[in-house]
Amino acid sequence: MAPVRPLAGLRVASGGRGHASDYARSLLASLGAESDSPCDDEADEHPALAWRRSGLMALTGRAGGAARMCPVPLTSCADGALAALAALGDGLRAAPGSGATLMGVRARFAGLARQGATSPGGTCRLLACGDGHIAINLARPDDWTMVPAWLEYDGDADWAARVAELPAALLLERARLLGLAAAVSAAPTPRSWLELKLHGTPKAPRPRCANAERPLVVDLSSLWAGPLCGQLLRELGAHVVKVESSARPDGARRGPAAFFDLLNAGKASVQLDLASPAGRDQLRQLLDRADIVIEASRPRALRQMGIDAEIWLSGRRGRSWLSITGHGRQGDAAEWVAFGDDAGVGAGLSELMHRATGERLICGDAIGDPLTGLHAALAAWASWRAGGGHLLALSLDAVLRHCVSFGAPRSDDALHDRHARWTRVAKSRRNIAPAPLCFAPQSRARPLGADTAAVLSDLGLRAA
Amino acid sequence: MKTLKAGTRLKSAACDTEVMVIRTRPEPVLLCCGGMEMIAMDGQKAAAEPDAAFAQGALVGKRYVDEQDTTELLCTKGGKGSLSLDGALLVVKQAKALPSSD
Repeated sequence: MAPVRPLAGLRVASGGRGHASDYARSLLASLGAESDSPCDDEADEHPALAWRRSGLMALTGRAGGAARMCPVPLTSCADGALAALAALGDGLRAAPGSGATLMGVRARFAGLARQGATSPGGTCRLLACGDGHIAINLARPDDWTMVPAWLEYDGDADWAARVAELPAALLLERARLLGLAAAVSAAPTPRSWLELKLHGTPKAPRPRCANAERPLVVDLSSLWAGPLCGQLLRELGAHVVKVESSARPDGARRGPAAFFDLLNAGKASVQLDLASPAGRDQLRQLLDRADIVIEASRPRALRQMGIDAEIWLSGRRGRSWLSITGHGRQGDAAEWVAFGDDAGVGAGLSELMHRATGERLICGDAIGDPLTGLHAALAAWASWRAGGGHLLALSLDAVLRHCVSFGAPRSDDALHDRHARWTRVAKSRRNIAPAPLCFAPQSRARPLGADTAAVLSDLGLRAA
Repeated sequence: MKTLKAGTRLKSAACDTEVMVIRTRPEPVLLCCGGMEMIAMDGQKAAAEPDAAFAQGALVGKRYVDEQDTTELLCTKGGKGSLSLDGALLVVKQAKALPSSD
């Protein structure tokens, strides 16, 4: 089957010379758009300087050891994804480096630092196992209660020593059964960043400026990737309603307020009791009004509530459903949990860092999240402009593999050479400040459920 | 009656249900699904349907606990039978709270 190209026939301005600009054009091309390059092409910032400027260099490496260069231009990919988004819509201040700044912003707000084989956030560890290295991310408080079952041991012994005895394949299989986020460190292999399927007939293409018709986005996601996507869409003119379950509100509310505000200020906050039939009914009615849905759950979770993306898409023309998962929606992989740091290990970043530096490291901070959020916003806005009708499936794993394979050195020699050169380039400047963000919160995020009654009554829905 | 251990995987003798033991007590227990004692993963299934009193089903991905909270199971494959411990039905445990960061 030929791939769906939602923007086929669209010409957009996307200039610049360098990794970030090339990446922006490759993303636009994958959506079918043609890039017109203005003649006054400016050079992008060097990827090594971009890595350091973003703050990720300081977050990668052993505590007390050297800050480490990533030998693939990941921060350039973030800049490129943001530039591609800015080429399709108005309202973002996409200065050079703004995408990269988003990758380091959580750590900056939370005051995190590099910890070698442990993620800056502290929950993901890269451990030696019987025949390799495996990342395990015990991010949810309850995850620790699963460790004895994961390793089949009594819970008193040193769990890392137990991991060291067991083969990677067994550890991965059992972690997946238990719903724990795990990934084996391996060499990177490429993947397409987006799976896009057309359901039904799209509406007519929509203009880049959303003033005439503002899409209603219902954002069911939590943490970083999905909320960032929703916030970028809001900046482009969407009306965004953030929906949280009363029993399981967004965990990021318990994190640094400045970070939560950055991702969620300006969205209306609706709280629903999704354990009750009435709450699930309200959710279905709210979704019925939405033009774009953002969700970052396993497909099973919504299906158990009687919500099905394909049925929703065929309910009305012009809609877009954005699904963010760890490993995709198909087959067994639909059940696998991933968070940003372990997904980075699974996509090959720790293996590349080991080849380049000899150290076992987690690369960046929850690196899959901001990259996926940026790509998700691009997919959603492209679908909206194209008239909708799409199921847009992104996974942390696919986006990271796509980024890692972009401009990756072809041999170990090339990798070492680039790592050495880029490290010198990064160190050639004394002080280097992050680029400005492409948006800044004008206000605080709304308290949980502050807009429930107003939103439901605006939409003519019954409050509980 | 069997003594269970964290990490042990078992399957139902009467339906498709499979579980993994998350935690349990040291004494032997009678763990059933569909009213029949659960068996090892390579064990032979009975040619029986779940007992009607134990046939509300087990849902994949849900965690089940006993009333005294001594034993917790994760359902790794759903089925027609209900899980019970020493004759009492197990109940679904609230889903995990989300992390504050990842």
